[in-house]
Formats: sequence, structure tokens, C-alpha cells
Amino acid sequence: MFGRYERDFEYSDADVKLRIDRSGTIPVYTRDCNGAHVEKYLTGDYNAIHICPVEPVNLPEEITHHLEIAFPEIVLPPEVKQTIYLKFPVETGVFFEIHREMDVLDIFSFVPTRFSLYGRPDAGVITRWYRSDLYSCVPATDLHREGVLELALVNHCATTVEISRAVFDSHHMTIFYGERVGMTATMEVWSPAIAQTTFATTPPPGCPNRSIDLYTSQKFPVGPMKGYMMESGMT
Amino acid sequence: MPNSTEIITTLSNETSLIGTASTREVVQFFVLLILAYVIGLVIAHYLKLRLSHKLKSDQLVLLIRFVRVILILIVVSFSLPGLLDLSITILALVFVALVAIIGLSSQNVISNMIGGLAMLYESPFKSGDFINTNDVSGTVISTRLFSVLIRTTSGVYVQIPNAQIYSSDVSNYFAHVARRYEYVVGIRYQDDVKKATAIITRILEGYTYVLVHPAPEVFVNDIDADSVRVMFRVWFPSVWARTKDDISLQTAILPRVKAALEAEGIEMPYAHREILFTTPIVTQPGPGGK
Repeated sequence: MFGRYERDFEYSDADVKLRIDRSGTIPVYTRDCNGAHVEKYLTGDYNAIHICPVEPVNLPEEITHHLEIAFPEIVLPPEVKQTIYLKFPVETGVFFEIHREMDVLDIFSFVPTRFSLYGRPDAGVITRWYRSDLYSCVPATDLHREGVLELALVNHCATTVEISRAVFDSHHMTIFYGERVGMTATMEVWSPAIAQTTFATTPPPGCPNRSIDLYTSQKFPVGPMKGYMMESGMT
Repeated sequence: MPNSTEIITTLSNETSLIGTASTREVVQFFVLLILAYVIGLVIAHYLKLRLSHKLKSDQLVLLIRFVRVILILIVVSFSLPGLLDLSITILALVFVALVAIIGLSSQNVISNMIGGLAMLYESPFKSGDFINTNDVSGTVISTRLFSVLIRTTSGVYVQIPNAQIYSSDVSNYFAHVARRYEYVVGIRYQDDVKKATAIITRILEGYTYVLVHPAPEVFVNDIDADSVRVMFRVWFPSVWARTKDDISLQTAILPRVKAALEAEGIEMPYAHREILFTTPIVTQPGPGGK
């Protein structure tokens, strides 16, 4: 499903049916999935359609831009670096290209959305919440539902820490796709309660194509790459 | 009688119009005023571009007004003394006297303005927040220099003076990122409470906007005359809940819970009374043997 399509296109599999109908005076984009039918009329002379995974924090509406992945508790001794693999939910974006600029046409997902609170109600953040198992190597995934996050855990503090969740800022996410959907991130632990998560911009193995950054394509003001500081614990 | 040429010549020579001020100085004063006005517009445009995503619209408007007023005041305070041949000291004295007179004659206006500035600094709420103050509940439309505009849930426009709000209790329902809601359902005495709480928990965990953490709490709250009352507490993201009223939140949750409980054979009881008679009741036939 992911890739670049010409002006007229139709895609269907067991989960989703996408189509641009140009038989009428105005082209119509239609999507049928999860029992829902979406129809949008396209104006303007677009060049192509791009379909790729986007930052998984957009559905069902704009609530948060933080992604939280909960996983079985891992114990990390002092001054140790450990790479683990987690799964994250995939949201698919449909973009139309006009004069080399991308605009979002549609976003959909096959994964139910849950939200959570990281921190206190008065000082925390709402997160898109997802539970993943813990893997020591790249797990098999359903391309349209789950991506693989390669997470390097680095314990800089002098004590053993327990980690069972990681919170990320989607403004700094870089998603790649190919055989699977993938991201690479680092979680640096500075104390038993504080850690920083950052994303790498190098593609993980098997994911040569870089997704369109939703926030760049929407021309949102995004600050310098600095990641997210988890200040409310890691368990 | 001077002809028009003589009049123009006279005016163009540095004729004293106000006190010792010449035509050139008067024109210069108004040009500076217009310049300050135009610069104010440019700064306002720049502030809108740079700060519109960082500040709320009412805060931005207030900031722009403040900057523009300051610019005009700078021009007036530097040009007017020379124009009227007044010293800064005299102007300052006149200004203080004016402020004192205005202050004494309009204490309410001043206190509202100070209340507005204090609220701007403390930010107990912002546009779009749902608040309760002075027996008024509603969504804040805007915070102005002298008053706050509120739209109640029934669409009524309410204007409350700042001083009144600043000296009152204010409840801001969505100041924090998450907010807890409580709901109660009654089940029959003979129903399995553990089963009912498990069903309600399952329904809540399947609802997108119920937060995973803090986890929903489901527990028996009371045993009243007709039912066992099961309370459940859920947390919603404020950014979502603020777009709903309490009734639409109830209708999002309670019908699902009721349907799930009834599907599992757990029903909401009718109110009933069991009346015990200490002596046997003798029934007698009525008129017509009925």
C-alpha cells in the first residue's frame, strides 16, 4: 500500500479500499475501511498521491503529540547500554502532491487508540498509549498495523534502574518504511526518575524509504531536534 | 485685507499657533503621531505572525494594544511639552493630577482594570476554558481590560467585571490536562457485584477517551433501599472533554454500560417497597360482590 501513485489510482486489500474516481467533473477520493466510508472531493491540479506511515498520534482527533509505549519491566544496571525492540501502532497518511508540496488528504489506522496521562494532572502530558511486548531482535509485524522501534537504552546514572515505559515527542519522529515500518530511538537515563528520548534520522535495516513528516508537510513550527525529557519516572 | 498669497506666506513662516509652537512643530507633532500609529500597525502585524501560536487571541490583542498605546504615549510625552512650551515636570504633575481625579471619580473602573491586569499575570483561566464564578458557569469568550465575557451552556452572553472575578472563587474545570468524572449505576441485590464491576471495567477500558492511567476505578459506593450502587470514576483528556458538556459525556458512557450489564443479565432495579403487616388482612367483597 505504501508508495507513490499517479493521478488515477485504486488500491484494495482485505483491510482497506482506496480509490480516486475521476469520471465526474471533480475527482473524488474514497476510502472504505473499518466499516467506514470516507469521501473527499479534490480540487486543484495535483501531480501524484503518496501513501506512507505517519506519526501515530493523529487519530481519532488531535489530542496529543506524545506517544507512550508500555512494555514489560526491564532492569538496566549502571553504565550499561542495551538495545531492545518494541512495536508501535501505525497510522497511514494519504498525501496529495501539488507543485512538489505535500498536503494531507486522509489519515487512517487499523489499530484502536488509547490515551493515558504521563505525570500529574497539573503538570503531566496526555499520551497516545500503546502496549508492546519486549523483543531482543526485530519481531515480525503486520506492515499496516505495527511498526518496529529499535530503542537503545543507555543508563548514565550510578544505580540500577527499572524501565517499563518510554514517552516520545512525535514532533521529532522520523519514520521509515520498506519491508516493515521502523524507527530508531535512544533513551538516555540520567536518574531513576529522569530520562531523555531522541530519534535517529538514519533508516533502520529493511526500511529504506523515509516517510513524509506530517508536521513538516503541514508547515507546523517545529523546534530544534532535542527529544522529550521524561521527568515523571519510567515505570 | 490680506490676500491668499499673503496668508500662505505668513503660515509658512514660523508663525506661532499654540503658545510658542510654530506651524512646523505642530505638523511635526502630527506626523510623529501618524508615524507612531503606522509603526504600531507594523509591530502588531509582526506580533501576530510571531506569537499567534504561543498566546491566546485575547492575550495577543491586549499585548498589541499595550504596545500601540505605549508608542503613542512616547510621542505625546516627548513632543507635547515642546509644543505647549511646557516642561516635563509640569506635564508629569498634570498627568498625576489627572490620574488622581480620574481615579477618585471612577474607582470601579480602575479596580476592574487592575483586576484585569492581575488576572492577565496570574492566568487563572484563558479563552475557551469552562469556569464557574459568581454563580455563573460557562465558557470564557475573552478576557478584556475591564471585564470577562462568558458564554453559558444555554448560550447566554454574560459580562462579569474583572474586580468581581478577582475577588471571588473561580473554578476552572479544564486547567489541568486531565479531569476525573464520576458516574453511578444501581443494580439489583441479587446481582453479582464482582461480575458487574468486571463488565463496567471492560466497557471503560474499551472506550477510546478513558485514560489508561490513572486507571478507571469501579467500586460499590452505597447500598440503598432499592439497589446496590456501583460508582465508577474515569479520567478524560481535558482537551477532548472541554469540547463536550456533561450530558454528552454521560451519554457517551452510561448507555454502553447499561447495555453491557443487561446483556449479561444484570438489570437496573425499579424502586420498590416491601410492606409487612403484623396482623392478617381480611378482605371483604365490595359493592356488587366484587
